Amino acid sequence: MKTIQEIQADIVEEFAVFTDWMDKYEYLIELGKSMPLIEEKDKTESNLIRGCQSRVWLSCREEDGHLYFAADSDAIITKGIISLLLKVYDGQTPEAILAADEGFIEQIGLKENLSPTRANGLVSMIQTIKGYAAAWRVGAKAPGQPSAEGEQAAAKNELEADIVVALRQVYDPEIPVNIYDLGLIYDIQADADGQVFIKMTLTAPNCPIADDVVAQVREAVQDVPGVKDVQVELVFEPEWTTDRMSEEAKLELGML
Amino acid sequence: MDVRRIFPALDRQIYGKPLIYFDNAATAQRPQAVLDLQQRLCVEACGNVHRAVHKLGADATDYYEAGREAARSYLHAPARENIVITSGTTASINLAATCFCQRFVRKGDRILISEAEHHSNIVPWQLACERHGATLEVLPVDELGEIAVESLDQRLRKAEGRIKLVAITHISNVLGVVNPVEEVIAVAHKYDVPVLLDGAQGIVHEQVDVQALDCDFYAFSGHKVYAPTGVGILYGKKRWLEAMPPYMGGGEMIESVSFEKTTYAPLPLKFEAGTPNFVAAACLAPALETARLLAEDPALQENQRTMRDYLLEELPRIEGLRIYGLPRDPARKIPLISFAVEGAFPSDLAQILDKMGIAVRTGHMCAEPLLHRYGQTSLLRASLAPYNTLAECESFVTALHRAVQMLR
Repeated sequence: MKTIQEIQADIVEEFAVFTDWMDKYEYLIELGKSMPLIEEKDKTESNLIRGCQSRVWLSCREEDGHLYFAADSDAIITKGIISLLLKVYDGQTPEAILAADEGFIEQIGLKENLSPTRANGLVSMIQTIKGYAAAWRVGAKAPGQPSAEGEQAAAKNELEADIVVALRQVYDPEIPVNIYDLGLIYDIQADADGQVFIKMTLTAPNCPIADDVVAQVREAVQDVPGVKDVQVELVFEPEWTTDRMSEEAKLELGML
Repeated sequence: MDVRRIFPALDRQIYGKPLIYFDNAATAQRPQAVLDLQQRLCVEACGNVHRAVHKLGADATDYYEAGREAARSYLHAPARENIVITSGTTASINLAATCFCQRFVRKGDRILISEAEHHSNIVPWQLACERHGATLEVLPVDELGEIAVESLDQRLRKAEGRIKLVAITHISNVLGVVNPVEEVIAVAHKYDVPVLLDGAQGIVHEQVDVQALDCDFYAFSGHKVYAPTGVGILYGKKRWLEAMPPYMGGGEMIESVSFEKTTYAPLPLKFEAGTPNFVAAACLAPALETARLLAEDPALQENQRTMRDYLLEELPRIEGLRIYGLPRDPARKIPLISFAVEGAFPSDLAQILDKMGIAVRTGHMCAEPLLHRYGQTSLLRASLAPYNTLAECESFVTALHRAVQMLR
């Protein structure tokens, strides 16, 4: 299998033949039309990424340490760009996805499509792809055991991956990094009946907004389809340290 | 009048093609007179309004008040006290909703809006209703885009005084249909219910006379009538504005302040806390003067009707194209046309049109409930101004045919 960089280089080369925007758009439209659709059952509210201009659906499944994505959009040009992004990410490992950037989109002259002002859902889609990659990252601790290396609790099944994606939307109001990447989630257990157990901590034991954060976690997880009941246990043993933060979180906070 | 010459932005090239600007309902281009005044005030009268004894401050105040006078005169409002300067239509409606409901709405009361409202005439009322335990009631819109005005009388009678205000758009930003606001006001007043008109589009296409209309509130934005962004107007009848509590507290809205008791400035300053965007407000004068000249030019008015009729005739030739907002009386349709094309998603069309130099609007257009009513999540809208031309309409139709073909 080709690496992400190789696939991106192929796409850049492919686009080099287009001298005018019309050909480029026609090609994107073709890609959009030929892209395999997401299964109707996966076009759920929770897989929906809402943009003001168009909507995007994204689902993810894991097989032998590789991630596979399916996506759709009601806008065909957006779908064409999704198809390029999925060409790059489909079948890759979580680590490779997390390490990749989307600079190739700029190189092929489609940067304006990834601008947040386009509100087409693409920027959020990339964030969600990275969210799934973070959820499935290997090397995470064994279930129920906070890892010695301070890794986050990783997903062991697709429901848990969806839960991680939801948890990455929850923020400590004082820190611009989500609680999952901060390393506040010690354990996630989701069984086939939708019973979910989450063990988490906070950055400080006497955190004044503890109740708020726990309530937000419960609410976010409750909204994941397939989840029936959520139990959140707040612990302060082992104590949280900055070592538990993900690389991206450290980068975000200027610690690297 | 050579109208194209007074709007310098129209000369632009976009991706090497002449700009065709068909997103006037979002924001209009600005005439040279506005651009000149904007720059001149920044240089010559950059002082704070209503506060300073020095020359710059005094000049700024004069220009600011001249902007207010221009708005008063354009709306034919009785007095300066009726004209509150805000930052735009949204701010105007938020002010009206917050302060009116604070004073006049109690638990169990209702506010009536229509199904065709912009989010700015929905959410402020929703927020106010939540605060006071009131509910929002919705007057439906029919297939053609006309509000069910015939049901209004019965609705208000049955409400037995619980409906405290009717807030309705003068012209919907999606449907481009002039609502029968005279009738709405007459019926509402029969039951002593005040009416707020969202005039964001109405101010551009109608000759608004608030005294003849007898509306209780009228809200509009400067930037849709050729002024800069950041200024808007709330017209209100004195009986309401005087009874309503202030909106924001701060500078200029007070008469005297002590820690025990603050008394408020008389109208309209009671509602104008803080330093306003006085440059934009001052620009209302040349902007509304331009609007008046354009509205009084019979050739330009004829041209607007011609362009509207051309598009209404040509667009449906595209297979699977459906226009939303086709009133029974065609004269009630402004040159603003929203539509969907089967098999060609609006944002795709708009992206292709953009590459051809054509600016249109797509999306839910801040009217999600209305789009939902028609089973759509997104439409494409072409909204014209007096400076657009029939030739541009022809180019637009040709480009649209081509874009649809690319997508199918």
